[in-house]
Amino acid sequence: MNISTSPDATVFVVDDDASIRDALSLLISLKGLRASVYSSAEDFLAVYEPTWRGCLLTDLKMPGMSGLDLQALLRQRGVTLPVVVLTAHGDVSTTRAALKNGAVDFLEKPVDDEVLVDVLRNAIRIDEERHRATAESAQAAARLARLTSREREVLELLAQGLQHREIAERLAISPRTVEVYKARMMEKLQCRTLADVVRIGTNLRSDMAAKHPA
Amino acid sequence: MIRSAFVATSNASRSLMRPWDRDFALAAITYVALYVALQWLSNVRPLLALNINPWNPQAGLALAFLVLYGGRAIAVTAAAVVMGGFAVRGMPANLPVQMAASVWVAIGYGGLAAFLREREIAAQIHTVRDASRLAGAAVGGTLIVAAAYVTIFLASGQLPLSDAVTAVTRYWIGDLSGVLTLTPLLINARGWREHLPLLQRHRWEMISQLAAILLTLWIIFRLPTADQLRFFYLLFLPVIWIALRWGWRGAMLSVLLIQIGLIVAARTEIPTARLIDLQFLMVTLSLTGLLLGAAVAERAGVLRRVAMSEAEQRALLAMAPDAVLAVDPHGRVRMANAAAARLFGEGIEAGEAQLAWFLPGLQLDRAQDRVTLNGRRADGSSFPAEIAQARLDPPANEGYLVTVRDATDRRRAEEQLRERDAALARAMRFAVAGELASALAHELNQPITALVSYLRASEILAAQPVGDSKRLQATLGKAAQEAIRASAVLRKLRDFYQGGARKSERVDIAALCRTVARAFEDRLRRANASLSVAIDPTLPLVEADGTQLEIVLHNLLANALDSVSHVAGAGRQLELHGSHHDGVVTLRVADSGPGITAEVGRRLFEPFVTSKPDGMGLGLAISRSLIRARGGELSCERSRKLGGAEFTIRLPIDPPSDTPSV
Repeated sequence: MNISTSPDATVFVVDDDASIRDALSLLISLKGLRASVYSSAEDFLAVYEPTWRGCLLTDLKMPGMSGLDLQALLRQRGVTLPVVVLTAHGDVSTTRAALKNGAVDFLEKPVDDEVLVDVLRNAIRIDEERHRATAESAQAAARLARLTSREREVLELLAQGLQHREIAERLAISPRTVEVYKARMMEKLQCRTLADVVRIGTNLRSDMAAKHPA
Repeated sequence: MIRSAFVATSNASRSLMRPWDRDFALAAITYVALYVALQWLSNVRPLLALNINPWNPQAGLALAFLVLYGGRAIAVTAAAVVMGGFAVRGMPANLPVQMAASVWVAIGYGGLAAFLREREIAAQIHTVRDASRLAGAAVGGTLIVAAAYVTIFLASGQLPLSDAVTAVTRYWIGDLSGVLTLTPLLINARGWREHLPLLQRHRWEMISQLAAILLTLWIIFRLPTADQLRFFYLLFLPVIWIALRWGWRGAMLSVLLIQIGLIVAARTEIPTARLIDLQFLMVTLSLTGLLLGAAVAERAGVLRRVAMSEAEQRALLAMAPDAVLAVDPHGRVRMANAAAARLFGEGIEAGEAQLAWFLPGLQLDRAQDRVTLNGRRADGSSFPAEIAQARLDPPANEGYLVTVRDATDRRRAEEQLRERDAALARAMRFAVAGELASALAHELNQPITALVSYLRASEILAAQPVGDSKRLQATLGKAAQEAIRASAVLRKLRDFYQGGARKSERVDIAALCRTVARAFEDRLRRANASLSVAIDPTLPLVEADGTQLEIVLHNLLANALDSVSHVAGAGRQLELHGSHHDGVVTLRVADSGPGITAEVGRRLFEPFVTSKPDGMGLGLAISRSLIRARGGELSCERSRKLGGAEFTIRLPIDPPSDTPSV
């Protein structure tokens, strides 16, 4: 129904109570989302694939691994799947811990459908954004890899806000040559404006700073 | 002369054990010189040639020397006696007899000295008894010496038998007055320096006493010879005065002075016929001074001890944290300590205060251990007073000693403790209620969550243009199931409180009782109550829910403890008793509290009936349903042994398969 939601986004429901699993999956699917249910955290972890898109809706109190444990384990493994916590009355401190650990939202039982679907859609959008950001930075990295070292130097100096003449002096080449490098670099990076170039250059710098902290 | 003798004797006494060392030699030489000098001085109209004088101070000197130096002094003494005789009369014709008599005198006084040393007479004169013992020994000892001395001369034929009694009397009395006056003074002369400050402080008094003696002597000897002895009794006045002021030491010194005066006078003024009267006068003076002085010293000692113990008692009373009051038989406050003034206010010290005003209702004549009643302060305010009292022992049994302690602080502390306990119990109940609510919410939320989701799904299904009525039907059916599940949660909860949903296990009742009793140890100690646990060691295991049984026992013991805190501290007793008979285990919880009133008793096990101000009245109701659910019974009666309430749990060892519902 909501077109912005990608077709393969799924709500992964983890709850030890069979009735709740059944009722929630029915409601979620009737609201136009795909649902997939697991009776325990262990069951979910056993089949999880990194390519899965969507969000995780988990109960907190479960026999075996708790919702909090599951969340912590996913975080530890670098899984970015957004987590929505479903909590019973009186779990305030546990809920606070879950939010601190990066849960995107929490729902209190019993939960009404509007709220449930709003929260789940929001979680799925967060997942998509995260995914898109990851894909974009992967693409940019691939394009940057195609630049020669001279083109890369010009990119970095442009990102620092230097003029063509200053860049030429720094690199001991003519301003004319600087313009040639710039044109080639912009073509390889598929940038139309100088602003795009500066953005990519700035990202590159901050990535490098993150990878090789001075 | 005298002073050097004192120094010598005190030096010599330090080396008593070495027979002929330098100190002893010095002391012996001084002694002999003194002896001869005294002999010469006192040689007043001797009886015949027998060396019998009216006053023999040298006998006192000899005895003191013998007491201080023991047996080795006997030879020195014998030599001194012989030399004394030579000094006075030159070489006598009957030398062997004189020598024998002298040796006898030395041996006789040596024996008396040994007797004094052994019985520790004369070394310390603190009481009249000490003085009497000394006087008795001196009278007996000198009589023996005198009798033997005269006998020697009788035997040698130098003395006619007719003069024997006179001779013995004169010798005896002469030695006796010398011994009584000088011996105790010399033996006790060691610490004479200690008395110098006294001499200085009371210089004028002593000088006037000395003047009184001299004046008296002057008066006596200014009279015509015939009247002189008639006024000798005047001499008693200064001697008694001095004895009362300075004890026997002063008395003996004054007697010594008088004796010297009399002897000087006797050389010229007194007719020989009256010498025997003079002798008796001097002995009487000596005895009077000695005994009176000792009595004064004894009294001073007693007074000092009394003053000391009174000072101690005053300090004790002043320091006492409790108010202490001495009360006469009419209830008047005779004495009140500082704590009493602090507690009651200033009015109580005045001496006119009536105890009954400050402690209304206190019965002094009633023999009672401790009472607590309301005390009244001088300003009229009242306070809880804890009182202990005692009748004063004979011979002072005229009244009572009463101690009072302000119990306000203790009461308040107890009150606070009770309030804290109550607050704790309330908080516990709230915590339990909160826990229960939380558990209930969790249990109910599960089916309600599913129920809401199914109903919302049904809503969506029903709104779809192409109806899927089968699916809708199924979803609604599931929703109904969830509603039933929710009601099942509620039923389970109700069943728990009615004992319906219980677990069953083999329970060791004895161990369970011990666990519960241990849990109460701290509260028992605080309440000053005792719990005696008597469990039959052969109690079998019982098929039951241990937790429920523990709750019931805990409840009953808590009730019992609450109940005994209404009675006085000493009688707070609880009892937990366990036995079995004919397949039924019986547990009894009894207390010494006030028991159950008839009104409460009738409805005791109904919910919300309570005798406690902050009780909910659910404990016994729940306890009874838990026990009944197991086929047992919980009942209450009056405890025959402890007098309070007694709750009895009867449990069948094997519960009936069909438990009755409540």
